[in-house]
Amino acid sequence: MTVHEHTTNPAALTLAEGFFHRMFFQRAPGTANAVATDDMYMWLWWFCLAWFVFLMGLLGFFVIRYRRRPGKIAQTSTSHNTPLEIAWTVIPTLFLVYIFFKGFWGYMDKVVSPGHAIEMNITGVKWNWSLQYPNGAESTYTTRLGAKEIPVFYMPAETPIRLRMISQDVMHALWVPDFRIKQDVLPNRYTTFWFQANAPSGDKVHPMNDLEAKGSKAPFIAELAGVPYEDHIIYCAEYCGDEHSEMAAVIRVVSDDAFARWLDVIANPTDKSPVELGEIVWKLKCASCHSIDGSRNTGPTWKNIFNTNRRFTDGSSAVADEEYIRNSILYPARQVVEGYPNNMPLIPLRERQLEGVIAFIKSLSDDPLVRASVLAPPAEQKKEEGQDAPQ
Amino acid sequence: MSGHSEHHGSYLERKGGMIATIWDWATTVDHKKIGVMYLFAILFMFFLGGMAAIAVRMELWEPVRQAADGSFTGQLFRPADAVSMSEGNNFYNRLFTLHGAIMVFMVIVPSIPASLGNFLLPLMLGAKDVAFPRLNLLSWYIYVFGSIFAVCSIILGGVDTGWTFYTPYSTTTDADHIKVVLMVLGAFILGFSSILTGLNFIVTVHKLRAPGMGWFDMPLFIWAIYSSAIIQVLATPVIGITLLLLVFERVFRIGIFDPALGGDPVLYQHFFWFYSHPVVYVMILPGMGVISDVLAVQSHKRIFGYRAIAFSSLGIAAVSFIVWGHHMFTSMSELASAVFSALTFLVAIPTAVKVFNWIATLYKGSITINTPMLYALIFLFLFSIGGLTGLPLGTLSTDLHLHDSYFVVAHFHYVMMGGTIIALMAGIHHWWPKMFGRMYNETGGMIGAIVVFIGFNITFLTQFLLGTQGMPRRYASYFDEYTSLHQLSTIGSWVLLAGFLIHLFVFLASFASGKKAPPNPWGGLTLEWVATSPPIEHNFEHEPLVKHGPYDFDTVVPPHWDPKDYPIPEAQAGGRPAVAHSPDRNA
Repeated sequence: MTVHEHTTNPAALTLAEGFFHRMFFQRAPGTANAVATDDMYMWLWWFCLAWFVFLMGLLGFFVIRYRRRPGKIAQTSTSHNTPLEIAWTVIPTLFLVYIFFKGFWGYMDKVVSPGHAIEMNITGVKWNWSLQYPNGAESTYTTRLGAKEIPVFYMPAETPIRLRMISQDVMHALWVPDFRIKQDVLPNRYTTFWFQANAPSGDKVHPMNDLEAKGSKAPFIAELAGVPYEDHIIYCAEYCGDEHSEMAAVIRVVSDDAFARWLDVIANPTDKSPVELGEIVWKLKCASCHSIDGSRNTGPTWKNIFNTNRRFTDGSSAVADEEYIRNSILYPARQVVEGYPNNMPLIPLRERQLEGVIAFIKSLSDDPLVRASVLAPPAEQKKEEGQDAPQ
Repeated sequence: MSGHSEHHGSYLERKGGMIATIWDWATTVDHKKIGVMYLFAILFMFFLGGMAAIAVRMELWEPVRQAADGSFTGQLFRPADAVSMSEGNNFYNRLFTLHGAIMVFMVIVPSIPASLGNFLLPLMLGAKDVAFPRLNLLSWYIYVFGSIFAVCSIILGGVDTGWTFYTPYSTTTDADHIKVVLMVLGAFILGFSSILTGLNFIVTVHKLRAPGMGWFDMPLFIWAIYSSAIIQVLATPVIGITLLLLVFERVFRIGIFDPALGGDPVLYQHFFWFYSHPVVYVMILPGMGVISDVLAVQSHKRIFGYRAIAFSSLGIAAVSFIVWGHHMFTSMSELASAVFSALTFLVAIPTAVKVFNWIATLYKGSITINTPMLYALIFLFLFSIGGLTGLPLGTLSTDLHLHDSYFVVAHFHYVMMGGTIIALMAGIHHWWPKMFGRMYNETGGMIGAIVVFIGFNITFLTQFLLGTQGMPRRYASYFDEYTSLHQLSTIGSWVLLAGFLIHLFVFLASFASGKKAPPNPWGGLTLEWVATSPPIEHNFEHEPLVKHGPYDFDTVVPPHWDPKDYPIPEAQAGGRPAVAHSPDRNA
């Protein structure tokens, strides 16, 4: 299997370890290719350090040795020496040729994905990442990191994965520091990113029950109880506006078979009520602009808007019913609420997700009748059960 | 003020009262006055950009977090009624845009050529003025107008695109406002100032060299200014066109860059860097020129490999046009990335050769340690770090990790600030006595230089580590693990500020009570040291005749120096040194 072509050779590992490696990278490389990159980096570090110490040593020596002495002027010395000048041109050139090729080979390993890689789709939109699995399912889990809830993308270990990426608005860039690779995400053509994550070390495992989940970063998921995982942060590396620094996600690597079990869980989220599904959609795709507590954000809040009168920038107005919500998502520029800029991107949702968002917005209404229409007693009970999972 | 002769007063001499003096300066066509006016304008912009930098570092003191009661920590400024992170982050985004745009377009690009270049070019060439004195004044007014225009549009409009104005962000955000258009027009106007100055310098170098001065008798500072002037004239129109296209895109929606209209945003990056990469060398080449001259003069040593340095300036200028793609390794095809990576390594060679030449120049010299020399040594230290850290960025596999991270931020600050600004500081001190006819306090200058050096390294060495550890640039907030390095960097920025304030104080003290400067305090051989300090209005009493090379310290007693203080070894050795490279001239 081609998988084994990417296993590290032990010689490479020697440079990519030790004090300086920890100082520079802090976290261990998460793929074999990342180990090769660290190896290259550390090689360059020692190479540059040697040159720098040599040059500065010479400089310091000359400055002290040839400092000005009263009554004496500079000694006559050559101001031109062809062999020396050729040597100090050619020797660095040879080094640079070597560095170029070493970097080029490492680069090709990182950007050209194996033919049998599993393809997944990544969509970047201000200021969220979302992932679609080969079976059409989307990730529904988030984790609290930094200032915000960010999505968690489960990925199988030791399997080549190719991410096919597109942006829905401006440019973004997907950077996984642990994999030592980034790729711009463009609005007008697909770019790809591939990796083959190392198996989790086993330091971190999924909690076995809800109680354990309280002190763990991972949620309790029955199918994944006790499964080791490794988290790798995703950053947006191309400046994209106000919440550029919050546009993060986590790649959570689990074993191949655990991943398959998990894919089944999220592929059939029939256990979730529309309100729960809507809340997940909100967290993943809407929360960066729309609050649910009544506070003003980039976009209007969702709290208590259902069945209220909305005024638009063109002077017209309408009642916020189901159809209004649906149209606002499908045609974001059609009716822009007064006092807000027209900058909502088109966020593609499937029919079930649209229904979910509508139900979720209804559940935020102050009108008990509206709330009751979506939060029927059995569903409410169910919501409480399900609450633990996404945390 | 030096009144060298009764009818030839110093150029600084007042012409009547306050109003008359201001009018005299405002309408002057004297390259020295224009150079000094550029210097003050640029230092003022440097102060503005520096304050923005201090504010940026303040904001990064701690990550932005929202407490349970809804209040935020870690944001420098946020509107009273703001509830989301966006509004506070937006202020940070405007700040770093302000810092970047001011420092690049209004400080570093014009810094050395427009200030020291304007002042010194005709003096070093033995000319009365630049070739087109009125054009020179016009370019200063364009610079001032463009700067005011750009700064106002950033501050009043709140541009938050970064100084690179990447599309489609710059063409789609805040569609109902015109702020990006105004800012871009400001940069466009500044470009004309740059083109006119470059044009003026090229013609001056070609036509106004003093009798006896061949191309290889020019000081290396002139070679550097000449090389960067060529880039300015050839590359700046590209950014002019690009910025105009951007304006058309915003105003008329013509669809060149915006994919929603059928354009390609990466095309903008190509256009932008096709200008902005060569301009990196417009920024650094004059700095290299300053260092060549300061090192040679302060160590009374013939520069090692004069022709190698001169030709490497031209070589860098030429290669600079074909390496723009290394800013885009993450948005180009693999083939294009490979080609640009190879070309990038090509530009490293002449740069390395220059560093070797400078260090070899010190060999067997007679080295004074004063403020300009200290700054030249600091330049060699910081610029070497800047150059060497370019290697992991030019190397494809490591760049994929380091691109758009703090590593890049640290790298270009080592080159742009550790290179150009440090060289500007070296040059200002080196030629201060010539420009203002007064000495500065040497101890104060050296203390300032050391504080700047320490502050600079605290600020930016930490950023290399932030970058390799995974901190992306242009982030208003970050995860907790980066906090301590960010705080260290912020502390460094205060030290850096303290260093520059010491310099400000030293300069003011020099104006107030500096000792009168002799015409040739350092013992330089180039023609500006023949002139009085400060020079008379038309620079020289008589047109100077060049009889020796610019760095013939082993055969020529410096102008205005007593031969008794300068025992030339030639007399002992009995004849000309065999190594003298400058053409024999028995005029």
